[in-house]
Amino acid sequence: MGGSGLITRSAGLNNMFLKRKGEKIVFKKTWLMISIFVILSVISACSTSKEGEKEKSDELTYATVKDINDMNPHLYPGSMSAQGMVYESLVENTEDGIKPLLAKSWDISEDGKAYTFHLREDVKFHDGEPFNADAVKKNFDAVQKNKEKHSWIKLSTKIVNVEATDEYTVKLTLSEAYYPTLEELSMTRPYVFLSPKDFKDGGTKDGVKGFHGTGPYKLTEHKVDQYAIFKANKDYWAGAPKIKKITAKVLPAGETTLLALQKGEVNFTFTDDWGTDSINVEGMEQLAKTGDYQVVRSNPMNTSMIVANSGKKDSPVHERSVREAIWHAIDRETISRDIFSGTVKAADTLFASNVPYANVELKKRDYDVNKAKEILEEAGWKNSEKGTAMKKEGKPLTMKLYYDSTSPSQKAQGELIQDSLKKIGMNLELVGEESSSIANRRTTGDYDLLFNQTWGLAYDPQSTISAFTSESSYLHATEGIPNAEQLYQKIEDVLTSTDEDSRKALYKDILTTVHEEAIFIPITNGNVTVIAPKSLNGISFEQTQYELPFEKMYFE
Amino acid sequence: MGVFIVKRILITVPILLAVSFLTFVLISFSPMEPAEAILRAQEVPVITDELIEQTNEKLGLNKPFIIQYIDWLMDCLQLDFGDSYVKNESVWQLVGPSFFNTLKLTVVSSLVIILFSVLLGVICALQEGKIIDRILRTVLFVLTAVPTYWLGAILILFFSVKLDLLPTSGMSGMKSYILPVIATSLGYIGIYFRTIRSAMLNNLNEDYVIYGRSSGLSEKKITMHILRNSLQVSISIFCMSIPIILGGTVVVENVFAWPGIGSLSIEAILSRDFPVIQAYVLIVAVAFVIFNMISDILNAALNPRIRNDNS
Repeated sequence: MGGSGLITRSAGLNNMFLKRKGEKIVFKKTWLMISIFVILSVISACSTSKEGEKEKSDELTYATVKDINDMNPHLYPGSMSAQGMVYESLVENTEDGIKPLLAKSWDISEDGKAYTFHLREDVKFHDGEPFNADAVKKNFDAVQKNKEKHSWIKLSTKIVNVEATDEYTVKLTLSEAYYPTLEELSMTRPYVFLSPKDFKDGGTKDGVKGFHGTGPYKLTEHKVDQYAIFKANKDYWAGAPKIKKITAKVLPAGETTLLALQKGEVNFTFTDDWGTDSINVEGMEQLAKTGDYQVVRSNPMNTSMIVANSGKKDSPVHERSVREAIWHAIDRETISRDIFSGTVKAADTLFASNVPYANVELKKRDYDVNKAKEILEEAGWKNSEKGTAMKKEGKPLTMKLYYDSTSPSQKAQGELIQDSLKKIGMNLELVGEESSSIANRRTTGDYDLLFNQTWGLAYDPQSTISAFTSESSYLHATEGIPNAEQLYQKIEDVLTSTDEDSRKALYKDILTTVHEEAIFIPITNGNVTVIAPKSLNGISFEQTQYELPFEKMYFE
Repeated sequence: MGVFIVKRILITVPILLAVSFLTFVLISFSPMEPAEAILRAQEVPVITDELIEQTNEKLGLNKPFIIQYIDWLMDCLQLDFGDSYVKNESVWQLVGPSFFNTLKLTVVSSLVIILFSVLLGVICALQEGKIIDRILRTVLFVLTAVPTYWLGAILILFFSVKLDLLPTSGMSGMKSYILPVIATSLGYIGIYFRTIRSAMLNNLNEDYVIYGRSSGLSEKKITMHILRNSLQVSISIFCMSIPIILGGTVVVENVFAWPGIGSLSIEAILSRDFPVIQAYVLIVAVAFVIFNMISDILNAALNPRIRNDNS
């Protein structure tokens, strides 16, 4: 009792003290009331905004780092996975080779110069226009009108004429035989079909009026940098897809994607065009553990590598022994295990053996630092002092390795390689640059070593190999080897070969040469990774890292 | 007052001219030739000297520098910033909508910042040294030091994933503003409430306060006088904070997938889309100049001494 009296007394004192400044109390109370009101209203605003965003069983919302961009299928800024849903090609590249798609069959002339396609007769564009020989011709002509931009796809330089011989037959005439014709026609772009009604001034190179393809999904709404909605094409010739609505939601930050997946605002994501995960490995594992999601990985799709610039004459990298030593000094198992948590596999050759024509016997160069040192010593490089770079004719063994500064994994790999090379007396300087600047170095040849990636299944081997001779790609990297001219001749021969056996033999020669010369130093094989709800079935992969067959997916 | 405003507006003209000239000159210092950047952006595989010459011809890039600048300036005055090198669209089509998205975020955040800075500043000044003052100052100090990126992720984790109250990201209605606005404002509130607090404390001992008290003015009226005088100091800071937020929302936009000008500018910089970069720099610079002008005018309106000094 005495205690409470004390409290009452002191409270009374306090009151007396405050009474002297009575005005101030009123003022204080007003502010207090206002602040409480503001805080309460913010909180109530929060709670009233509750809205069930639970996934419906026939919808997918996937997170994408970038907007789907311009969906014109005959130009390159658009998202390939989105274009893959809307547009289709004449033929399809599958694990078992080329299969019919919009063309139900085809004939190839004896000399390999003429391709006659017999089209499906039950196909309509999303705007109701019929898909026929005339539409095919118009699309081919529109692509060829903008030839310079498509020169990376060699077929564009060989098409002489496209002719509609009857309503559902198209004849393609080439200037010379070109064996990857069907492969290149199966690619996501540019040889896919847009309703001719969408053409602007009879073409597509200066923009289009709409995005009506023949594919399983129609683009119905697009808010730039926010989202794009694709709805199932009910009249799809192969049957309407089971997933009725697909939303591509732009989420630039991987952390947000992870949180949005946990909340269920998005329920699907996959590695982007360049194999970079928007979600890191730990995040993926955590999601899989919650039991709501599954992680599905494809077979190897591409190879991450270091390109050694053999053409740079004043750099040690011009020497084959140096390139070989680097190859031996890379600990691929550690990279795969520790940097990628086992999500990618170590690669010993430029192309994985599931790549067409790449199942070739090649000498394996294991991780062996001593061997690397031996090779260098044999080639005349000498250690002057311990801890410094080796030297030959007064020139130090120092090189620069360029990596994409936005890729944390490239930096980590670079540091690991730098460390093991230092042990054998090779100095590697790591330089991080933005990707366009690295692409520029690749074109101008101003580099010793840089991180790069093969173009991926469907493009490997033929597109990557023809890039060996292209100035904007790997010409500088390959031109410094002793028999470069011979190599280029073989590449030209293989692309125009008509006979399967000679093609195999030529590929073997080409792959052996670049392997012997150690120009493309493989590190790991990348794949496409999908994160999807556990109840989603039918997740499969195309023979390319750039598309996903959404039309085959369904919920249990 | 009218004279002051007219004078102040006239001064901005040469400033804006200088700003636009600098924007133009700085871009031309870029190591890559514009023609080459365009061709590269369009993924032309082999760039020949002929192609570069053609592109220069087409876009008037081989005219004298000063003529190019004047042409560009004249177009800009009509909100025509040219065409993007990368996307098949005019720059204004790209920059316009994203600028307004960022502006919306900025305006809402600024209002929240003003409201809470004043509120907390006044509370702390009146409670100087007491427990509320100390707690508020400590909490806000910590929040100011927290990186926005991390704060954003924590807000999403707590409010949208755990409590399931708000969307994680995007711009899909009123409720999607709440988290980005909190993430943007907290740091600034932590800075500005201190300015208000110390300005109020300085004013507390001014002669006019003692005079007011001695002539029997109510404590409430005295506080309002103090507040009015303290706000003057803060107005310029508030006004400058708008363009600062406008140019600095990149991180918030990234975390909350807000389709604003920050993310657009980063994309443009990475792909060397010069016209978009120019438009972005110019817009942000103009915002600085204009808000600086507004703050001067507001201050003059509140404080007769300023406008009298000038006129």
